[in-house]
Formats: sequence, structure tokens, C-alpha cells
Amino acid sequence: MTELPLTGVTPVTGPDVSATRAGVGAVASPARRSTGVRRGWRADGATVALVPFLVFVGVFLLWPVGAVVLHSVTPGGSLGIGALVRAVSGPYRSAFTNSLTLAGASAVIGGVLGLALAFALRGLQRPTWLRPTIDAWSSVASQLGGVPLAFAFVALVGTQGVLTKGLAALGVDLAGAGFSLSTLPGMTFVYLYFEIPLMFLVVAPAVSGLRTTWREAAELMGAGPVRYWWAVGGPVLAPSVLGGMLLLFINAFSAYATAYVLNSSGQLVPLAIRFVLQGNVITGEQDLGYALVTWTVALMAAGLVLMHLLQRRAARWSRA
Amino acid sequence: MSAVVVPETARQTPMPAGERAGRPAARRPAARRPGAGRRRPGLEAVRWTFLVVLGLYFVVPQLAMARFAFQNVPVVLLNQHTLLSRWSAASLISALHEPALWQATRTSALLAVLTLVLDLALLLPLAIVAEVRAPRLRTVLATVTLLPWVVPPIALVVGVAATFRTVAPGFLTSPLALVPFYAVWAMPFTYRAIDSGLRAVNARTLVEAARSLGAGLPTVLFRVLMPNLSASLVAAGGLTAALVLGEFAFASLLLKTTLPTYLVDYQRDAPQAGMALALAVMVLTALALGAVVHLLRRRGLGVSTTGF
Repeated sequence: MTELPLTGVTPVTGPDVSATRAGVGAVASPARRSTGVRRGWRADGATVALVPFLVFVGVFLLWPVGAVVLHSVTPGGSLGIGALVRAVSGPYRSAFTNSLTLAGASAVIGGVLGLALAFALRGLQRPTWLRPTIDAWSSVASQLGGVPLAFAFVALVGTQGVLTKGLAALGVDLAGAGFSLSTLPGMTFVYLYFEIPLMFLVVAPAVSGLRTTWREAAELMGAGPVRYWWAVGGPVLAPSVLGGMLLLFINAFSAYATAYVLNSSGQLVPLAIRFVLQGNVITGEQDLGYALVTWTVALMAAGLVLMHLLQRRAARWSRA
Repeated sequence: MSAVVVPETARQTPMPAGERAGRPAARRPAARRPGAGRRRPGLEAVRWTFLVVLGLYFVVPQLAMARFAFQNVPVVLLNQHTLLSRWSAASLISALHEPALWQATRTSALLAVLTLVLDLALLLPLAIVAEVRAPRLRTVLATVTLLPWVVPPIALVVGVAATFRTVAPGFLTSPLALVPFYAVWAMPFTYRAIDSGLRAVNARTLVEAARSLGAGLPTVLFRVLMPNLSASLVAAGGLTAALVLGEFAFASLLLKTTLPTYLVDYQRDAPQAGMALALAVMVLTALALGAVVHLLRRRGLGVSTTGF
């Protein structure tokens, strides 16, 4: 190993990135030179390989987000929290309330049903095709949000949907009972389609990680089912379940396409952001859009940090 | 000759019914018979009812969509006599005859390919360096590649409008301007796919073995590592394609015509044909993802499709 085997990797990254954005090339080329010249500098050579990647993330993710956050705390050019306060009061307050309710409800219901699915499949060996099928289907369905999914539910329980008409023939009036896809319960019903599989993917390893021997040990020491779940099963599962629900919350809060197709004038944060962004801009309103985004990003970041901590704890007993 | 074949490691072999491992073998036959041992029939009934209801929830919307798309019977006239009549694929065929569809499809396909190429160019060398020479980079990579989760498309689009539109106005005019942003969102699962692939094949040992046999860098990369990473690369590709085919917010708010935005516009004008097209897109996405998952299972790679 007289030569650095992998310093040559940096140039592979260089041209591709610089083709995307000229500014990156300027940063990447001194990086190339420094690894080429100073061969004894191994550890830092690897660190330098990070530079194009970090520049990419900086330019296309951190810069836009940073600019928005900066705008939102300096409405009209001077420092102040006016825009941030306005974004959660008045007409936009209901957008936040609705979005939080929708994300919360779909996270809790989806979480419980996803967990129940993991338990229903636990120890199930017959039919043998069932478990792999559900595993694969969950991976697929958790990605199936968006436009086609919303269409499918419109065809099923929209005003002209098959189920709506079928139930009407049986004397059950869905719309009369207050159910509509453009309301929060209706949207929650649709969101569950990708939330349940996502929860299943997150908690299935934890549920499989519950060892039968623990249960038997607990029983030998005289613990009943309640005591077992309270003292052993519950604490082992809790981080995964809470982490999974947080992930579902983040996922539902930021979902846009499904909500847009179901009710494009709905009072939800992603739709409110669109509304502010697409013109409708009186001076100063632009800051409101920035403030809405800042709140969203802050919420996502808080959720993600919490979720990450929970996942680390959950990993201890999980079986993938 | 071409690819270095890696022996199956313990990590690679899939663990069938992992939770059974701790249970004595003698109990297995008992557990198989429903109602035997601790399994109560009541509990079995609850379990199967739940599974069937959930199954219906996942299948029936697709069936309703197929009916709307392919059956020319108004929903009010639907009963047991008309259920099987007047099905036709005419709506899908008329949707497929729209030149604008192919334009949008071409854009989306190009976006998917370029996004994957960009992500691989950014992450593959880094992931290899991190695995083979500098494990401490892994923490940085794992953390940074989680950042896209914090910024959903609907949030980033505001920032992009606020920054790129003023600094580089020409940049956003081409539909290909979406590529770097899609690459940002594809990073979480692309990195995790590559990382778990590298770990499963013991990349460090492979690279050292290849180097000691005199292989140069191109040989190490393209004839040793890449063939062993094929499952990971296919997984990254499939998930990236699903992302690009599903992303609506960002493209629609930057006024780009991709397949999802075209679907919404088209369905407004031609409800039935639009529904048929949406169903076709959904089935194709599901098949592609299903194939990816199947491949990963066969290779025993635990790639998280959620990006976590």
C-alpha cells in the first residue's frame, strides 16, 4: 500500500458535480491537488473527499432552507418574530390545527393498526407465502402516496364512488353521515393506506425481537400477561412504537400530493404554503410563506431528532 | 474472470422465522396446528378477521379504480347483472395516444436516470472510502443523508424560489433543474442501500485482496466492487424511480410537466382515461418496487426502503 488506493475517487465525484454547478468545481479542484501532493496525509484525504458532497448538500438543501429561515425572522428587513407569530394565528392557525390533527390522527391510528398487523403475523407460519408477501407489499405501499392513490379512493368513496353508491343502495348514506374525502376523517382514511405499511416496516423487527424465552421466564417467575407486558414487552417495544409513530407523523404532515388532489382548497399547512407561494402576494405576505416553512421545518427537525434517539434505543432488541 | 464471487456470509443468509429461534424444536409441530397448545380459536378468528379486513382495505380501492377506468357502466346502474358487462381498455388506449403523455414520461424517465447517476456519483465513492478507509466518515454520512427528511418538497420549493430565482434565474427554466433536488431526497435510501451492500460483501477485505493481487483502482471499482453491489444499485435505482414517478409538489409548484403533474391535469379533462393512466402508473410502480424488494430478499440484504 505505497500509493493511496482511493484518493483517485475524489476526481470521479468532481466532474459530475461541477457539471451541475460551476461553483463546486472550484472547490473540488484544490481538494484533488491537496490529496495528490501530500500523500502522507491519509486521514485528511478521506475527509477532503467529503467536500463535494457537503457542498452539494449545502447549495441545494441548506442554502435554500437557511435563506427561508433568515427571511422569516427578518420580516420586512428588520429582525422580528412578527411573521412567525402571524403564521400561527388568524386564518393560518386553523391550517396548523388541521395539519397537526390529520398528522396526529393518522400517526396514532396507522401506528396502532401497523403494530396490530405485526402482532397478527407474529408466529404465523401457515400459509408460508403470507409473510413475504406482506413484507414486500408494505415496502411498496409505503411509497404509494400521491396522485394515483388519491384517485383510487375517489373512485371508491368519492361522491360517485362504487362503495358510496353500493352503501346508498343498502340504505347507508355516507355523505349524509358526514363522511367526505375532503374532510379530515376522509383524508385520514386515505393516509392510512401508506401509514399502516410504513409502521409495519418500522415495528416488525421489534416485534420479532420479542423473545419467547422472555415470556416463558416471566411466567416461571409468576408474572401474568399484564405484568409481562407492563414490565418486559411494553418497555422493549415502546421506543420502536413511539419512533414509528413520529415517522408517520412527519410523513403525514408533509404529504402534499394526496391532500392536493382530495381538496386543493383545504386548510392544511402544505396547501397554505402553496397558496402563499403561488402569487396571492401582497407585500409582506411573502414573509408569511417563509414563516410557514420555518415552522414546518422546525417541527420536522424536532420530530426527527426525537425519532432518532428512540430508534437508537429500539435497535438494542430489534431483529431485522 | 470477471466478477469476484463472494462466499455467502452469515449476514447474508436470510433468517427464516427469526423469532422461532429461541423456541425448542419439539414445539414446532404443535404450533403449526391451529388451536393447539396455547393458540385459542377465538384469538385465531380475531387475527384472521383483522388480516382479511386490512387486506380488503388495501385491495378494494384499486379494484374500484380499475372498475371506473375500464368499465363503461355508470355507477348507479351497477348491479349483479351489469357487473361483468362492457369492460374495455379503450380508455387506457386513448390515454396512451396522447403525445403529451410521452413527453411527460420522457421527462420523468430522464429525471430518474440523471437523479440516480448524480446520487451514485456523489455517494458511491464516499461510501466506499468510508467503509474501506475512514469509518468515522460513516457517522457524518448517516447524519447528513437524514437531513432531507427534515425538509419536505413543499418546504424546499419555497426556499428554491427565494434563492435560485434571484441568484440564477436561468437555472430553473429547464425541467432538468429538478435533478439536484430529487437527488437530495433520494440520498437517504441510496446511501443506506450502498452502505448495507458494502457491509454485506465485506468491502474492506475485497479491496485489500484485489490490491494485493495487483489490481488498479479502475479494476477495484468496476470489476470487484460494482458487480458485488449490483443488488444495492438496483435497489437504489428502483426506489429513486418510485420517488421521481411519485413526486408532485415540487414539480407542480415550479411549473414543470412530469408524469405526476401531467396525470393531475389530464385527469381533470378526461376523468376515465386519466384514472386508467393513474392505475397503470401505480401498477408499474408497484411491480418495479416489488421486483426490487424480491431481489433484495433473495440476496438477503436488509435494505430499508424507508430511508431510515
